[in-house]
Parts: sequence; structure tokens; C-alpha cells
Amino acid sequence: MSKILMRSLLLLLIIYIVGVADESFVLNAHIRMIPKIMALDTRLSSKSPSFKATLAVVYDTNQKNAAFSIAEQINKVHNGKVSNLAFSATAYSFDELVERRDIAFIYIVPRCNSQLIKKVAVWGIVHSVPTFSYDVTDLEYGILGSIAIERSTVVYINKNTLKEGKFRFNDILFQIARIIE
Amino acid sequence: MNRFKNARLSTKLFATLIFATSIIFITITMVTFLIVRDLTINVQKEKASLLIDTVKPAVSLALFLGITDIGEKVSTVTQQKEVMRLEIADQNGKVILDYQPYSASSPYDMIKVSKTLIEPSSLKPIGLITLTYSGEEFSKTMDHFYTLYGWVLLSIFAILWIMLIWINYLLLPIKLIANKVRNFKPGEKIIFDIPYSQAEFIQIVHAFETMQERVLEYSSEIETINKNLEIQITEQTQEAIRHLYYDNLTALPNRLKLQEDLLTKPINTVALLNIDDFKEINDFFGIDAGDWLLTQIAHWLSEMKLSPYRLGGDEFAFRLSDELSPLEIRHDIEILLSLLNEKLFMIAEETVHIRATVGIAIKSDKPLIHADVALNKARSIKQPYSVYDQSEGIEQRYQANIAMSAQIRQALIEHRIVCQYQPIISCSSGKIEKFETLVRIKNEDGTLIPPNDFLPISQKTKLYHHITQEVVYQACHLFAARHEQFSINLSGSDMSDSRTVSTIENILRQTGTADRVIFEILESEGIENFDEVASFISRMKALGVKIAIDDFGTGYSNFENILKLNVDILKIDGSLIRSIDENPRHRIVVEAIVDFAHRIGIDTVAEFVSSEEILRNVTDMGVTYAQGFYIGKPLFLNPQLM
Repeated sequence: MSKILMRSLLLLLIIYIVGVADESFVLNAHIRMIPKIMALDTRLSSKSPSFKATLAVVYDTNQKNAAFSIAEQINKVHNGKVSNLAFSATAYSFDELVERRDIAFIYIVPRCNSQLIKKVAVWGIVHSVPTFSYDVTDLEYGILGSIAIERSTVVYINKNTLKEGKFRFNDILFQIARIIE
Repeated sequence: MNRFKNARLSTKLFATLIFATSIIFITITMVTFLIVRDLTINVQKEKASLLIDTVKPAVSLALFLGITDIGEKVSTVTQQKEVMRLEIADQNGKVILDYQPYSASSPYDMIKVSKTLIEPSSLKPIGLITLTYSGEEFSKTMDHFYTLYGWVLLSIFAILWIMLIWINYLLLPIKLIANKVRNFKPGEKIIFDIPYSQAEFIQIVHAFETMQERVLEYSSEIETINKNLEIQITEQTQEAIRHLYYDNLTALPNRLKLQEDLLTKPINTVALLNIDDFKEINDFFGIDAGDWLLTQIAHWLSEMKLSPYRLGGDEFAFRLSDELSPLEIRHDIEILLSLLNEKLFMIAEETVHIRATVGIAIKSDKPLIHADVALNKARSIKQPYSVYDQSEGIEQRYQANIAMSAQIRQALIEHRIVCQYQPIISCSSGKIEKFETLVRIKNEDGTLIPPNDFLPISQKTKLYHHITQEVVYQACHLFAARHEQFSINLSGSDMSDSRTVSTIENILRQTGTADRVIFEILESEGIENFDEVASFISRMKALGVKIAIDDFGTGYSNFENILKLNVDILKIDGSLIRSIDENPRHRIVVEAIVDFAHRIGIDTVAEFVSSEEILRNVTDMGVTYAQGFYIGKPLFLNPQLM
């Protein structure tokens, strides 16, 4: 009995560790790739070199620390510049977000509630600000895209949101992205 | 190169065709090869490039996004069987993907295409994609190309071979025409039957036929001309022979014909007949009359059955039978001359008697020469005929004369003409006042040839003037250093020869001896050539020269001429002086001469004074100077010759 319990506990521990490790692995990939996808936004890249974009890392109340950590990680990895685009990643709550007018790209941290996600998606469409989320399933709430690590790294793009928000990305992105409805 | 020049026309045409075709074929092949090769390889490169282009954006983006597992994204490329290798490296050269489906090396050439991967947003290079493409298609295309051109080459050579046969066939008529023309013989007509008729060959055949007709016409003309020429040549040859061997005037055979006729026998008897005084007949009646007379004489000699020859001028010859004895020959000649003397010849209605002299050579090996010698002898002894007699040595004398002539010429060249000087004394003082210059030839052995032996011959061989000039030169140069007078003998021909006279004048001027020289002239010269002698004396006296008449008193002395010539001295002939003691007539002549000289104021010289008595006599008679062996023999005054 105890063996079964121990094995169950061990299995749960392994699952937890794998889960944590997987989340960390995906998050690191997002930290490296999200600013680069932002740089593929043709409306940003066509602006003057002095323009400095703001990458908003949006969180709900429970994920504030994680959001700040991610924003910090992004700034650290990219050192404030990706390709020719100068940017800075900053963690914002939704309320803070809607107050801002300089947001160029939105990344929603993991495990945010669906209501927030929906609101951010709508806000992004309205203000034509691309929204990417940690979780691919968030695309069903109207988020523009996400990056999944499957057999290989896959960029998902929400076709409906792409149309509604009239987003403009480098065409090459669509060659490797998987467009879903 | 010469072999090609002399090669057959078909060979040249074929070679030219091969050359031109080869050049064209090689050029086209090379150009086509380059085009096909470049096109093919470019197409393959383009294919490879297109393949790269299909994945390049995705790969670039993947690299940009940091996606390293890009195998799926390049699967459209790697699925192509022609792709031998696909290599993707980042900008640091780190290989991200190295796809290589075949481990074994391909038998074909590889085509490698590389492209730079560009960052999508900033267009910065972020990596390199290299595709190695299979060259199989290129190699196969080129193999097809080579095969195709191999067949083309074979086809061309087959066509050329057929053309060679065709060219030979086309040119066959030329061979046939050449064979026909080669076997052409004058007088025959060639029929050109060529197997087929092309315009060019018909033209050639027509040209040959026209030429053949002209050649036949020309041959006929040439044959006619040749025949006429042969006739003319024969006639002219006969005419030339006639001119060569026969005399134009008398139509008698000439000297050349006689010489050839005489060659038929080693020994011949020949008589030469010369008309006496024929020159006078010519001078009197004219040359035409003389020729007419010669014709009549020739006719008369022919009538006498003598078969005469005309040797030239008034000289005829005829051969006599060798069977006749000398006596019979003499008899026949006497009869002939007698008949000729009696024969009357007509010249312009005038009758003319002629005489002739005959020289005969009996059974002689040199009949013409010997007969001529005999003829000269008959003339000199004034006989109607003479027979050559070898024992008389006349021919030897001629040879001696020839030898002496050569000796004189050689003596002149070698300066062996020398002078001796005979003293002449004044009868009143007994002192030597003059010398007479006497010329000698000094032999190589030192002996002397007296003037009588060579002067007559030198006069006939035109050497006399040279001897005179040499004597004048030597005497004048010798006496230029002495004080006596000296005399030199001159002949009439010397005085009439302008070059000799001019030379004498020059020597006299150069040596300054004109006032002491006395030129001795024979009395006969003054009579025969009075004008020339007078002119010479005048020129010499202008220089201060004195003139003496030599051997005066023996000829037909003409005192009037002596006066006209204005001479200074009379040299009484030695024949008068030599016998002055014994011959009263000679004494009278000498006294007359001396008296004449005294009266006109000129001096006299007695020659040949050989004794004291003669000297006393001539002195008593009033002769001014004496000369002779008693006074002194001729001697050399030149110290080098003494």
C-alpha cells in the first residue's frame, strides 16, 4: 500500500517536475521568440530607428511576479533591442494596459483567467496591437497567436483575429506559422 | 606544300572541302558545346537556386527566431532526389543542418549553390544555406550532345566521301580530254567523245577543236614556209659557196678553192702568173678597163685549158701535171708566155699587149709559197719566169728577216739599241770637232749588229721611226754634256712622219743641243721628196739645227736643189774619196764639189779617209772636215758602254 502510495507520490512528483520543467522550457522559448515576432510587425519596423516599442507583459492579479520576472528576462535576453527595433518589456495589469497608448505588442503570461484573456484580445483587436499568449488554447478567446513546442517549434496564428485586427506581419512569418481558425 | 600544288584537281577540291567543313564543324561544335554546357549547367544551378529560394525565407525566419529544428521546414528540398547535400550554417559558421542522403559519392559532377540567409526584419545576413545538386542531368545532357555530334561527324564524313566520288566523276571528262590531247600528233584530228555533256566541258572541247583547226592551219603554213626556207637556204648556201670559192669578177675559182684543191695531194706543181705593170694599165685606162682586161685574160687562160684560179688583183695560178719533167714545164711556160705576148687584148677599141711573169713550184709541199718566192725572184732578176730552187735559200732568208724583225722589236723593248760615234776632224786644225752617230744593236752576248743588217728590215716593219727616236734621244742626251757638234742620219720617212719630227723637236728643246746637231740627209731623199724635206729643214733650221747632204756625188746630183734646200754641209761620198789617189775622175768630181761648196759658203766633209795620204789630199783640195778609219773608228762615248 505504502509502495503504491510512494510510487503514486513519486509519479506525481515526476509529473510535477516535468510539468514545471516543460513550462520553464516553453517560457524560455517565448522569451527568446516573442520580441522577434514583434519585430516582424511591419508597422513597427517601418518606424524611425528612434522609435522605442513597448512590449507589455500582461498578467492578472495572481501572476504579477511571474509577469515582472518574464519582462525582466526578456529585457535581459535581448538587451532592449531585437533586430533594428529598440524596445522594452514591461509588466502591466489589464487596467494599466488600457491606460497606455504606447503598447506595441502584448504577451499574456501563463495561467491567466479566461475573462482577462478575452478582454485583452478584444483590446488588442480594437487597438490593432498583436496579442500572443503562453497557452495555445487561448487563441479560442481571440488571442492572435502563440508558440507551441511540439515535435518542433510551431507558431500558431489565429486567422480570425488576424483579419479583425488588420495586423501586418512580414510575409515570411506566415510561411512557417500554422494558421488556425 | 609542293605536293599539294602538284596534286590532282579532285584532291585539291576534296582537301579544300574537308578543310572548310572541318573549320565550320569545329567552330559550330565548339560554340554549340559552350552554349549547351553553359545553358545546361545554368538550368541546373537555377533549379538548385529555386529549391533554395523555396525554403530560404522559412529557414531565415527559423534562424531569426532561434528555431533549430528546421528539418521539417526544408523537407520540400530534401525530398528532391537530385539534392545531394543541404547544409545550413549560422553567421558564425556553426552548422545547424547538414542533410546528406547519399553516403556514396556520385559518379556525376556536383553543382553547388550557396545563398545568404537574411534576417526578415533588418535584412542582415544571419547564415548561409548551401545546396549541392546532382550533376546527373547535366552529364546526361552532355552525353546526349556528344552522341549527337558523333553522329553528325560521321554523317559529314560520309557525305564528304560521297562528294569525293562525285567530284572524281564530274572531273572524269578532263582526264579523257587530257589523254586525247596528250596523244595528239600533228596532222591527226582528235575526236573528243566525252561520256556526258556539261556546258563547261563542251566549251573546253570546243576550244580544243578550234585550237586544233588553227594548229593544223598553222602547221600547213609552217610546212610551206619551211619548204621555201629550205629552197632559199640551199640557194643562199650555193651563193655563199660561190662567193667563198669563186672570184666575182672572172668567175674563176679563187685562192681558197686552190688551197683546198691542193690539199687533196701532198705534193703539187703550181705556177703563179702575174701581169706585168698592170697598175699602169689601171692608171691609164681606168679600173673598169683593168677589170675588163683581167676578165679577158681569165678567159684566155681557160681557153688554154689551164684551169686557172684568180688569186687576187692581177695574179692568176694554175696547176701543172706532176708527171711533167722540170724541163717540160719550163718549155710549156715559155710557150704560154710567148703566146700571151703575141695575144692582143682589146680595151676600148685599143689593142693592148701584155706581159706576165711566172713563178713555178715543182712538186712542192708548199706550192703556193714556193711559187710566190719564185715569182718574186723572177721579178727581181727581171726574167719572164723562175722555178723555185730550195738550194737558193730564199725561204730561209725570209725567215731570217722575220727573226731579225723580232730581234729589233725585242732590242727596242730591252733598250739594246746603242750608238757609236765616229770622230770628224777639222782638216785645217787636225782636231776633232764633230762626231757622226752610228746606230748598232747590242746582242745579249755583247756583240754588235751593224746598221746594214737591221735598218732595211726595220724600214719595212715600221720600226725605223722608233730606232731614229731612240738614236736622237741617246745622242742628244750624251752631247748635252759635251761641247762637240754631232750628226745623226735621218731617212725620208723620218722627215715625213709628224710624230717623229715632233719627238725630235721636243728632245732638242729638252737637251738644248739644237745648235750643235747636224742631220744628215741622203741626196736622193732631197730629190724624191723635195717638198717634205724642205719643210723639215725649214722647221729644224728655225731651231738652229744644221743640215748635211750625205753621200753627195754618187747619185744624180742636182746643185739647184742643194741651193734650194739651203744645206750647211756636203758629205762627199766615200766611194769617191776612197780611190781619190788612183782615179783622176773621182778627184775632178771632188774638186768640183769642194769648189761649189766654197762658192756657196758651205762646208764639206770627206768620208772614208782611210790613210794619211788621202787625208793630205783632201786637205790640199780644200775639204773642210775629214772622217774615216784613219781618223778614228766608231766608238762608245757613253762611259757605261765603253
